[in-house]
Amino acid sequence: MTYNINEIKQISIETKMKDYSKELKITEVYKAYKDAHPAIKEAMCLKAEYPAYFTPIQDGDLFAGRLKQGRVGFTIDEWGPTAFAYYCQFEEIENDLKTYDYPAEEKAKIEEMLKFWETEDTSNKIRKEYPPLMAQYLFSDDWMNTSGIAFPLYRLTGSTPNFKKLLDLGIPGIYKEIEELKATAEFDGRDVQFYEGMKIAIDVLADVCLYYEKEIRLLAEISTIDEKKEELNKIADTLHIITISKPRTFREAIQLFWIYTYVADIRNYGRMDIYMGDFLVNDLNAGIIDEDEALKYLQSLWQLMADRNTVVHNRVIIGGKSRPNEANADRFALLAMEATRTVKEIEPQLSLRFYEGMNPALFEKALDVIGGGATYPILYNDDININSINNAFGFSIKEAERYFTPYGCGEFILEGRSFGTPSGVINLLKALEVTLRNGVDPVTGKVIGLQLGNFEDFHSFDDLMNAYKKQVEFFVSLLAEQEVLEYKICGEEAPFLYNSLLYDDCMAKGKGMFAGGIKYLGGTLETYGNTNTADSLTAIKELIYERKLISKKELLDALDNNFAGYENIQLKLANAPKYGNDNEIADSMLERVHNHVCNFVKNQADRVGLHSYLVVIINNSANTLMGRSTHASADGRKAFEHMNNGNAPSGGNDKEGVTAMLNSIAKPSTSIHAGSVQNMKFSPELFFERRDIIKSLLKTYFDKGGSQAMITVLNRGDLENALVEPEKYRNLFVRVGGFSARFVELSTEVQKDILSRTLY
Amino acid sequence: MNDSGIIVDIQRFSIHDGPGIRTTVFLKGCPLNCKWCHNPEAIAYKPQLSFNQEKCLNCFACVSVCPTGAHFIKDNKHEIDFTLCQLSGDCVPACPNEALSITGKVNSVEQVIELILKDKDYYINSGGGVTISGGEPMTQFQFTKQILKACKDNSIHTILDTCGHAPSEKYLEILPLVDLFLYDYKESDYDKHKEYTGVYNDLIQKNFNMLYGAGAKIILRCPIVPGINDTDKHFEAICNLYKDYPKLLGIEIMPYHNIGLDKARKIGAEGQFISIDTTDKEKSREWISALNELGCTNIRLG
Repeated sequence: MTYNINEIKQISIETKMKDYSKELKITEVYKAYKDAHPAIKEAMCLKAEYPAYFTPIQDGDLFAGRLKQGRVGFTIDEWGPTAFAYYCQFEEIENDLKTYDYPAEEKAKIEEMLKFWETEDTSNKIRKEYPPLMAQYLFSDDWMNTSGIAFPLYRLTGSTPNFKKLLDLGIPGIYKEIEELKATAEFDGRDVQFYEGMKIAIDVLADVCLYYEKEIRLLAEISTIDEKKEELNKIADTLHIITISKPRTFREAIQLFWIYTYVADIRNYGRMDIYMGDFLVNDLNAGIIDEDEALKYLQSLWQLMADRNTVVHNRVIIGGKSRPNEANADRFALLAMEATRTVKEIEPQLSLRFYEGMNPALFEKALDVIGGGATYPILYNDDININSINNAFGFSIKEAERYFTPYGCGEFILEGRSFGTPSGVINLLKALEVTLRNGVDPVTGKVIGLQLGNFEDFHSFDDLMNAYKKQVEFFVSLLAEQEVLEYKICGEEAPFLYNSLLYDDCMAKGKGMFAGGIKYLGGTLETYGNTNTADSLTAIKELIYERKLISKKELLDALDNNFAGYENIQLKLANAPKYGNDNEIADSMLERVHNHVCNFVKNQADRVGLHSYLVVIINNSANTLMGRSTHASADGRKAFEHMNNGNAPSGGNDKEGVTAMLNSIAKPSTSIHAGSVQNMKFSPELFFERRDIIKSLLKTYFDKGGSQAMITVLNRGDLENALVEPEKYRNLFVRVGGFSARFVELSTEVQKDILSRTLY
Repeated sequence: MNDSGIIVDIQRFSIHDGPGIRTTVFLKGCPLNCKWCHNPEAIAYKPQLSFNQEKCLNCFACVSVCPTGAHFIKDNKHEIDFTLCQLSGDCVPACPNEALSITGKVNSVEQVIELILKDKDYYINSGGGVTISGGEPMTQFQFTKQILKACKDNSIHTILDTCGHAPSEKYLEILPLVDLFLYDYKESDYDKHKEYTGVYNDLIQKNFNMLYGAGAKIILRCPIVPGINDTDKHFEAICNLYKDYPKLLGIEIMPYHNIGLDKARKIGAEGQFISIDTTDKEKSREWISALNELGCTNIRLG
């Protein structure tokens, strides 16, 4: 069986010959400061990048701040699968050189630049440091296109800093803080270069504001429409003010916040209702703006976020316990939901934290917005999550309540305090299929896992289960060590100035967040195929070991042939109990798989020296992508088809109704991992005509321990019609996994995955 | 004591058979034979073979295992003579494509209650509970009574969905265990009732009067079938009931739909039922306004 899994290449393609002068300039600066203090090197590189990479404001923008990232640069997040920290997009650049006819001199410069970055690119530096065993088993960095059990990820994603500090102090206040801390460090005889770097970074931030101010004044000058002229001058005024004063108005606060998110490459925004609520309400009370104007600001900000097109980030959190300014925050939260309802985009990923006793208007508004087809807000149950975080991470209840924020696809961290980038993925179903074949990957025929014996040698189900566990544990251990290695090298490379500035306790210590500065440095690991693995194990246990209806050989033959000629066996496998039906046999197997991997991962933290190391059962489209390299499985799934999504039942396997499904998904423990996502689909009829029923369904689910819900409201007919006439269904949004998308823009496979999921 | 009964299906998250989120238990067996029956597989008292023709691969695996010759080959196609089936059940696992099944399973009260209790929290939060339907649940009286009793022991709201055609003393016996009756009112004309349902309506009316008099909470459910009982006379009768029985909790109009036909086909009983189009929404609304005009206001589509 061969299958071409190399169709997906996620590189951005240029439509015309790209000018590489900015990249070359950054490379020159990097070279010049290569041996300087990391803080100075980073600051000088930032100065070379910004404002150079910023792009002009567009019609309708009420705030400045758009950016086109270059092919070489510095980021805390990622600009491609291995493009993070000091990065170079090798593949894209090589592609440009092949596609376009660059003048010989320029071409030579670009080629030299490529060669230079080969050893300086942070991902390459990390890969080079892998010990032999890690290099052998984590053999590929291309998890999207390679068949394998586990893969490393290169990024420091999910930064959600303390924006309140930024807005409380403003540029002048921050500058002052840096000066004071520098003086103390000097007095103590500590390193002051960290603070020197910070000062340069703040200058760059101010430069970006002034650059935009100048550009926009020019635009205002040439504009012939009075209204537009006035509006542009307001934007320019705002940009000017925030360089000399802390923000005083809602508008100034949003402007400073937005520019900062770009220079720092922060893509998740934390509890915005707390840090924006007071600005909003003060302005409203003082008559500076009215609600309509405030909504326009948010709509513009929402559009800027949408155009940022992060796919899996742009989280804005509203609601929840421990908001010091609850009434003002509520007012902001309602306005934010209205912005989401009216802007009709797939980002930002507005998320509502809620708890028993919160202002009911928020939850009611949330259901209206979800029901309108927005897929937002995503619902987070504080009454469950706070205790879970307390147990999983060890944060105090008080700390968890105040600072907890989901980011990206749904990982939990504390804003301004903790970090936990997912730096590895594991395909549990692949681990099982390799274990059934003594270490051999049925897709490639290569030995890629531990050789723990043949299926025939596992005389009891426990023998098999133990081998599967051993396989998983081996890879988890490697991934945990990889995460630490990644942090270590990043800590040596750079202090990540803009992020460290807003992260406890970096400023006081004078250290970058990955060089010992941050308060809580944790890590996470993404697991995929959890449900398929559990359902496969259930089928094997029931049909082979207990009822002996299928032999081991028959099963392997059926799987190897992708059930062709073995339809009868596939049917038996498909009819075995499945997770998602409130069935004790199937659900307890899921819990067994879940508890094993979650607890084993959790226990790695101490061994490798992280504050926490936890599983996240999130989903981007990895269930589809990794499914493409996973053979037929014992749950009846055919080869290369998508795997289950997050903590959900496999598509269409939940057949006992929505209460049974909710009962099942509320069973796996939420207090041993760092977040787990739950997609559910409802019809508009149920959502609107029976709102009482929807409310009591959700209430019961959350009472039973449901931690999260991502709800899509649509008709099956709409989905089917959208396949035929995509142009008419541009506004049909669906929740894919940990992100939302326009249904018509998804790949056929992902569309198939969505269609297979039960609609209630 | 019968502590088991025959069940067609148990539907969780049932939101159309009474208030809130409910679990509806469909029992097998009904003394009526309504021409428009939408659960024809629940009429017979015994389990039945069910055949989904669309799934049949004509592999004849069933033919070779059937001990009574109910499955046979005609013109190289698989056919069934339902009258020959003795319910050996051998054909069900033999079929490679799940085209065959047995409708009606023996369940103990404990099994039913165990399933019911799984959704108790949803009942509480939604003001829902359990609905016993069918078929006619009164035909499995002891079983029905025990399920209702167990529900009450667990503080679960109960509904009995009944056609009204059962011994009066049984209704009195079960009354304390039922929080709400969904009581059918199919046809007001004495002879037509017999013609369309197979029984006269005198016992049904007597039981209704008795339960009403005893203070039972009742919602009247009126199936309306185009060309059969969508008559002025029947509508007037419904309105008279509305006026004469002010303590009725409501009247629900159940517009005819033909989903039952497919189920009838599967058990080889297709010819016994009328075959017309499912009522469209506009027609249903016309009926409601006609009834409104006659003075019947507390009425809704069920």
